[in-house]
Amino acid sequence: MSSFPTASGLPRASRVAAVVLSAVALTAGVVGCSTSNSGDSVQGDAKSPSAGVGKVAITLQSGSSGDTCTVDHTSVPAGPITFTITNQSSTAITEVELLSQQKIVGEKENLAPGLKPVSLTLTLGGGEYQIYCPGGSPETQKFTVTGKAAAAPTGTAADLLTQGTKEYGDYVSTEVAGMVTAVEKLQKDVDSGDVDAAKKQYGVARPFYEHIESDVEGFVLPGYKATDNAGNLDYLIDMRASNLDPKVGWHGFHAIERDLWQGGKITSSTKKQAAELTKNVKQLSTLSKSLTYKPEDLANGAASLLEEVQSNKIKGEEEDFSHIDLVDFAANVEGAQQAFANLRPGLQKIDPTLTSQIAARFQSTTTMLDGYRDPQAIGGYKTYTAALRDSDANKLSQNVQALQDSLSQLAQKVATA
Amino acid sequence: MSDQQDAGRDQTPDATADEMRDQPTGPDQPARRGLSRRGFFTGAGAGVVAGALAAGGGTAFAMSHGEDDATEGVDFNNSYPFYTGTHQAGIQTEPQRYCVYMTFDLVSATATDLQVLLARWSAAIAQLMQGKPIGAVAPTQPNAVAPDTGEAYNLGPSSLTVTLGLGPGVFDHRFGLADKKPKLLEPLPALPSDQLQKGYTGGDLSLQACADDPQVAYHAIRNLARMGRGTVGTRWTVMGFGRASAGKGQSTPRNLLGFKDGTRNIKEQSDFTDHVWVGDGDVAWMRGGSYQVARKIQMNIEIWDADRVSDQQQVIGRTKNVGAPLSGNAEFDTPNFTAKDAAGDIKIPVTSHIALAAHENNNGVKILRRSYNYTDGISQFGQLDAGLLFIAYMDTPQSFIQLQEKLGSSDLLNEYIGHIGSGIFAIPPAPAQGHYLGEALFG
Repeated sequence: MSSFPTASGLPRASRVAAVVLSAVALTAGVVGCSTSNSGDSVQGDAKSPSAGVGKVAITLQSGSSGDTCTVDHTSVPAGPITFTITNQSSTAITEVELLSQQKIVGEKENLAPGLKPVSLTLTLGGGEYQIYCPGGSPETQKFTVTGKAAAAPTGTAADLLTQGTKEYGDYVSTEVAGMVTAVEKLQKDVDSGDVDAAKKQYGVARPFYEHIESDVEGFVLPGYKATDNAGNLDYLIDMRASNLDPKVGWHGFHAIERDLWQGGKITSSTKKQAAELTKNVKQLSTLSKSLTYKPEDLANGAASLLEEVQSNKIKGEEEDFSHIDLVDFAANVEGAQQAFANLRPGLQKIDPTLTSQIAARFQSTTTMLDGYRDPQAIGGYKTYTAALRDSDANKLSQNVQALQDSLSQLAQKVATA
Repeated sequence: MSDQQDAGRDQTPDATADEMRDQPTGPDQPARRGLSRRGFFTGAGAGVVAGALAAGGGTAFAMSHGEDDATEGVDFNNSYPFYTGTHQAGIQTEPQRYCVYMTFDLVSATATDLQVLLARWSAAIAQLMQGKPIGAVAPTQPNAVAPDTGEAYNLGPSSLTVTLGLGPGVFDHRFGLADKKPKLLEPLPALPSDQLQKGYTGGDLSLQACADDPQVAYHAIRNLARMGRGTVGTRWTVMGFGRASAGKGQSTPRNLLGFKDGTRNIKEQSDFTDHVWVGDGDVAWMRGGSYQVARKIQMNIEIWDADRVSDQQQVIGRTKNVGAPLSGNAEFDTPNFTAKDAAGDIKIPVTSHIALAAHENNNGVKILRRSYNYTDGISQFGQLDAGLLFIAYMDTPQSFIQLQEKLGSSDLLNEYIGHIGSGIFAIPPAPAQGHYLGEALFG
């Protein structure tokens, strides 16, 4: 956990000024976006699209050979475009993302079948994009915006990096908001006593934390010492057997995981844990609003997420009972990739060779991970059984190590004085 | 430099050689080899060399490194006595370069078998520590099996020490020795962040064999294990290939994290008296003994190597090059755990390794660390499988428990390490000539 608390018990990410969570200009062809409340998947965007806005409908359905992700228009003119996502019946697909150069330029998470459609409006410049429906078929489809490309990002490398940190801050906010929604649903499922539903939702909820863990793991609750795990929010949310502090005991995600998988039932203690998790994640949401980032924070955070992969996921320690380690693995990689993608325009000016090397290694890792997808499995990836670990851990580890080694060069390139 | 340590350090090289000439079993005399450490000191004067070493702490790395080497030549003819009647060797003895550690399970259930084993091991250890085989390497009778396996023949004593420990199992229902049990000898409790694996945990007996030649250390363990067959079975072992702790006068070595390890280790006689040797508070036969805690600590080498140096320094609480505390400039500067930087942050993070382990922050608790770097090759995950064979000595196991409860729960280093092996042993005092280790148990 490289992003460890400083003496005052707050995360290393600088916290001088609060991030303004407003619409931001996006790089890589996106000139601006405004979204409906990203964390709110239940209510649709109440606003009607204004005249001239392109409209794209994305429909998620269950199918006989896997769940489908259907896009009605895969080519639209540049300008404001509203994506309306309707999940009719898919249980495998819980999120949809629009990607440009490995970077998420817009996303909707916590999509559940039967809920009202959600919408997302982005102002897109001409260029090639991908619509990414994890767990769906097709998983990734080309999306073309015709017309004038957005002006290439301008400014010094430092300006571009600073811009990237702001956009990354928005990504973190989106993830935190998504996490609140996801753990509330998990609590609901636990309260209902439905073990299968709770297991499934556990797999949905986990990635939010794993995307951004390196940014939010340093919070200490007021009134606690930095050395006391009872006030360490990361411990309370994400402790596991391998860092168990017997004095503080089991808490958070993995306490629930243990009940659901090892115990196979929901007890009053499970319900208490689920309620506590919701409370702590909300607390995290409040505290994380104070986070701001320097370019090196993104670089170090990304490296730290891959460190998590190597030290916990590959060994199968993180999800000791559910064995959904590959879900966390993919989420760590995605979080690292988003940090990198936001640094990319600035880094391109500083070191184009390293930029393309890291991009290529991310591509290699995500391609490898695609081979482990299983829409039927909880969280959308194959269960990381002992047999799978024995046969594949070495390959997974060495691939991630190559990525981590190149990524570890990033911080010194982008560090601000 | 360490004359107040084990009595053996006071032996002259000639005395050692004389003993070796007495060697009864080998046809040839072991050849003298290697550099003599004393040769350096005789010529230069120990005080002068030690002074240069201390000054080296503040100079550029390459320079101080060179000085370290110059002061620590190896004398393969150096030996330590076994029959001191006081403390076992291999504790206060300045750490040798290599160490093989092995624990054993008692497979025989009679106290007599245990008694015979301890007596035979004692005699064998005394021989081995003098650089002698434990019997003929090549018996004259052609159909005989060699009592000594031979691979250390002619290698010299190489400062070998073999230290025996008695685990909690010795005092369980099997041997009728429960009334002799050291007061504080209990299996360690579950500690925060423990990732113990059965294959590296526990044991009824432990042997720590350290020497300046790895083959001498391995030979000792191999032959003692062989001698014990039928009474004990092997349980777990670690081969330490690099010294990761310093005795008095030795330069501080580095562990596999690349940081100096043991800068604040116990070195003074008073600290040994106060923190290492068991006094009158325990069962009588433990007086002059100690408690040994061994932990196999795996390091996530790759991810550590990918961590930026500034973070590594925050994790440890020291600079990587000089080894100075982040509040100071030189290695042996006393850490200031309340000093703040210009931004108002505490210079040595409260959850850094040295802050959590410091005696100032632990009611004065100190332990003697005598650790070695180890490697087990490559893990099933394709990662380098390596870490620290942590061996510590203390007058009460509570010292380790207290420190590890703190470290295990909030040490920044936990991200990069895992305690995968563990053992606790009572270390009896050394026997006088004509006696054997643990003899008091059978009186």
